[in-house]
Amino acid sequence: MKILIVEDEPGLRESIEAYFNEGDSVCEIAHDFTSALAKVSVYRYDCIILDLTLPQGNGLDIIRHLKANQYNDGVLIISAKNSLDDRLTGLDLGADDYLTKPFHLSELKSRVTAIVRRRSFNGNNTLLFNEINIDLDAKTVTINKQFVKFTRKEYSLLLYFIANKGKVVSKSAIAEHLWGDSIDIADNFDFIYSHIKNIRKKLVEAGCNDYIQAAYGMGYKFTET
Amino acid sequence: MKLLNKYHRINIAVTVIIMLITGIIYYYTISRILTSQIDKDLILEENEVINYVDLNHRLPEVYESNHQQIIFAPFGNKKIERRFLDTVYREIKANELEPGRALISSVKVSGQNYRILVIQSKVQTEYLIQIIFLITICVIVILLVVLMIFNRVILKSIWQPFYKLLFQLKEFSLANHTNIESIPSKIDEFIELDNAMLTMAYRVKNDYENLKAFTENASHELMTPISVINSKLDTLVQTDEFTDKQSKLLNDLYGTVARLTRLNKSMLLLAKIENGLIMDNQEVDIKEIIEECLYQHEEMIHQLNINLQTDFQDKRVKASKLLMEVLLNNLISNAIRHNYSNGEIKIILDTKQLTISNTGNGTFNFDQVLKRFHKSDGSEGIGLGLTLCKQICDNYGLNLSYSQNNNTHTFNVIFW
Repeated sequence: MKILIVEDEPGLRESIEAYFNEGDSVCEIAHDFTSALAKVSVYRYDCIILDLTLPQGNGLDIIRHLKANQYNDGVLIISAKNSLDDRLTGLDLGADDYLTKPFHLSELKSRVTAIVRRRSFNGNNTLLFNEINIDLDAKTVTINKQFVKFTRKEYSLLLYFIANKGKVVSKSAIAEHLWGDSIDIADNFDFIYSHIKNIRKKLVEAGCNDYIQAAYGMGYKFTET
Repeated sequence: MKLLNKYHRINIAVTVIIMLITGIIYYYTISRILTSQIDKDLILEENEVINYVDLNHRLPEVYESNHQQIIFAPFGNKKIERRFLDTVYREIKANELEPGRALISSVKVSGQNYRILVIQSKVQTEYLIQIIFLITICVIVILLVVLMIFNRVILKSIWQPFYKLLFQLKEFSLANHTNIESIPSKIDEFIELDNAMLTMAYRVKNDYENLKAFTENASHELMTPISVINSKLDTLVQTDEFTDKQSKLLNDLYGTVARLTRLNKSMLLLAKIENGLIMDNQEVDIKEIIEECLYQHEEMIHQLNINLQTDFQDKRVKASKLLMEVLLNNLISNAIRHNYSNGEIKIILDTKQLTISNTGNGTFNFDQVLKRFHKSDGSEGIGLGLTLCKQICDNYGLNLSYSQNNNTHTFNVIFW
C-alpha cells in the first residue's frame, strides 16, 4: 500500500516511516503544508497520515482539497489536540479516523490497515491470512473452514496482530489497544498473557501454525510462517 | 461593629459632651443675667428707701409682699459694707423657705444707723431658668434624634455603592466566571474603590486565565515529545534481540511513558473542563457506558472474584460522552482497584441517581482525596481520578458524595 506521512515533527515522522516502510508498503513523507498539498495534488495514496497542526497551514485544508477534487484517498488524522471540534470537523470533512498523540506505532498501523482494507475490499469485507479467514462485518473467524469462537477482546487482538505481522508489539501497546489509556497497564499484564494464551490455544487447536511468539518478555510478535 | 454604628456612637458622645458644656455655660450666663436684673430691682428699692429717708427723715412704712421683703434694723456706728448675696428667706404666705437675692445696705435716719436688708424672691427667676433649660434640652434631644435619623438615611444611601461592591466581591469567583461590574458613584473615594476593584478583578482574572492556559498549553506541548518517545520505543523494540535485563528496562520505560501520558491527559482534561472548553453536550446513555466500562474491567473483576451486583434502569443525561466515560470509568475502576479478593461491588442506576458501593479495606478522607495529586496509601493511580470526577460533576451540576459504613465504601452521583 502507498502511504503519505504528513508530519512536521522529524522524530515522529522518521519512526512512522521506518515502521511502515517494509514489505508491500511504500511511504512518502511531507514535512509541511505546502509540500503535502503539492504531493496530494499529483499522487494518489491508499492512506494519508495527516497531522493537523502544520507549518504554513492547517491539515484540515488538505482534506478539503482532496474532497474538492474528489480524490478518494483514505485519511487518518493524528493530532496532539484531543479536541472534539477538530475530530468532528475532520471526520465530517471525510477523514476516516482520528488518532490522538501519543500513540503506539502498532495502533497506527492497525488503524491505517483498517482504512486501506475498507477502501480496497468493496462490499466483500473479509480478511484472509493464510488459513485464517476473518469476516470483518460479522466479526467471525473461520480457520480451515471451521468456525472458531473468539471473545470480543481476543478477536480485536487477533486483528491487531495481523495488521502488525512481523513486528514486535509491546505489552503497553496491547494494553492500550484493549483497555484504552485510562487504565494502568501494569494492572493488565497478566490479563494480556491469558488472552494471548487463549488465542494461541484456539489457533493451534484449529490447525494453525503457532503464529504468536513472545518477544523477550516485552511483547509479542505475529510471525507469518 | 458597623461603620455607621461606630460613627453614630462617636457622634452622639461628642454631641452630648458639647451640649453639656454649652448647657452649663448657658445656664450660668442666663442666671447671671437674671440675677443682675434682680440686683437692679434691689438697687431701685434701696434708692427708693434712701430717697424716702432724705425726704421724710424717717424710715418708710414697710409693706410686705410675696416676693419682696424690706427689713430695717438699727445698729451701731460700725460701717456696713454694701453687698449683694444669695440667701434663703421665709415666705410669708406659704410660710416656706425660698431662695432669694438680698441687698444689704445702710441708711442714717436722725443720727441712727439702720441696716437695710432688701430681699427679693428668686423663685420666678429659677422657674424661668428651668423653663429655658428644659426647652433647650428638648431642642437638643430633638435635634440629636433628627440628626441621627437623617444621618442614618443619608449615610445608607451614600454608602450604597460600597455595599454593592462588597456584595459583588463576596460573590466573585474565578471558577464560576462571575464578573465585577462598575457601580457608578459621584463620590471620589467610591469611584477610586470601584476603579481599584475593577482593575484588581481584571488582573486576577487575567492571571488565572494565563495560568489555566499555561497548564493547557504545557500539557499540550508535552504530547508531541511524549509521542516521539513512544514511537522511538516502538521502533527500538523492532531492532534486535534483547537480554532479559534490557527488556526489563524497556518495559519500565513503556510503563513510565504510559503513566506520563495518562497524567498529562488528565491534566489537560482538567484544564479543559475548568476552562469550559468541553461543550459537546449530547444525549448520553449512562447504562451503556457503565456496561462498556464493566466489560473493560471484566478480567480484573474476574481475577479478584468480585461478586458484582447490578441493577440498571435506562438513564440518559445531556452531557459530554467523553466526560461521562471518564467519570464512570474512574468510579468503577476505583471500586475494583480498592477492593479485596471475593469482595463485592454493587452498582445501582435509576433515573434519580447512580450508586456504586464496594467492599474495601482502609479508610480515606474524601475531601483530602479531592485535592489534586493526593493519593491514599497504597494507591497506584496518578492522584487525579477523583479530582476529575468532582470537577466533571460540578461542571454538570451533579452531586457527588461519599459515605463509608464499616468496610463498604459508597459513591453516590445524584442527577438533576
